[in-house]
Amino acid sequence: MTWTKESPTKILYVHTHGIDDPGRCATPFFLASAAAAMEFEVMIYFTMFGPTLLRRDVIDKIGPKGDRGQPLRHFIEQATGLGVRLLVCQPSLDLNDLSLDDLIDGVEVIGAATFNDLAAAADAVVSF
Amino acid sequence: MVRRRLLDLSINNSTLREVSLSESAASAADRVLDCAGMSCPLPVLKTAQAIKDLAPGQVLELLATDPGVEPDMRAWTRRTGNELLSVSKTDEVFHVLIRRVK
Repeated sequence: MTWTKESPTKILYVHTHGIDDPGRCATPFFLASAAAAMEFEVMIYFTMFGPTLLRRDVIDKIGPKGDRGQPLRHFIEQATGLGVRLLVCQPSLDLNDLSLDDLIDGVEVIGAATFNDLAAAADAVVSF
Repeated sequence: MVRRRLLDLSINNSTLREVSLSESAASAADRVLDCAGMSCPLPVLKTAQAIKDLAPGQVLELLATDPGVEPDMRAWTRRTGNELLSVSKTDEVFHVLIRRVK
């Protein structure tokens, strides 16, 4: 797992909050989508409680404004539709008693060395 | 003006609208993208999508009411290598003219 050479600018977002804090769930996807629309290469790394936002049984049930707005699925699919890649690490899955099968399709598992490698090579790392 | 009427009509229609060159002035857009009423980041996302339907050299006119649209489109055009021709505001609606470069 590396950045491709083609994109001039690379941003790695880090999402640490989970389903207990839905007001924080959508903004990283917003920013990542806009970055992809700016032709940046974009990844979001979900760690700590972040992987809970990718649970396939959750994304239609929560959203940043509760029942008053779009569900989380909308923001995730907007980002992935623009080429944003979603990453998790195994210890964070363990922390939340999750397996990769509990998550939506397309999520990639990396480890700490990969994260550090991606972060060191990115133009910006933005953490939430 | 014919073109003026087309733009006004397009306020309530979120789809891309063709503006024929015969109806518009030389500086007018080849297409109009109506993002009025949409908030950030939708105007950026839809502009990125819409510009791909234009040929290099053609001009897109973005209509938007999001207050951040001017700085956003300055950043977006600078990063994507497209050309921001003008930004004007009429009745709370920003009109952003962008030329597809590459």
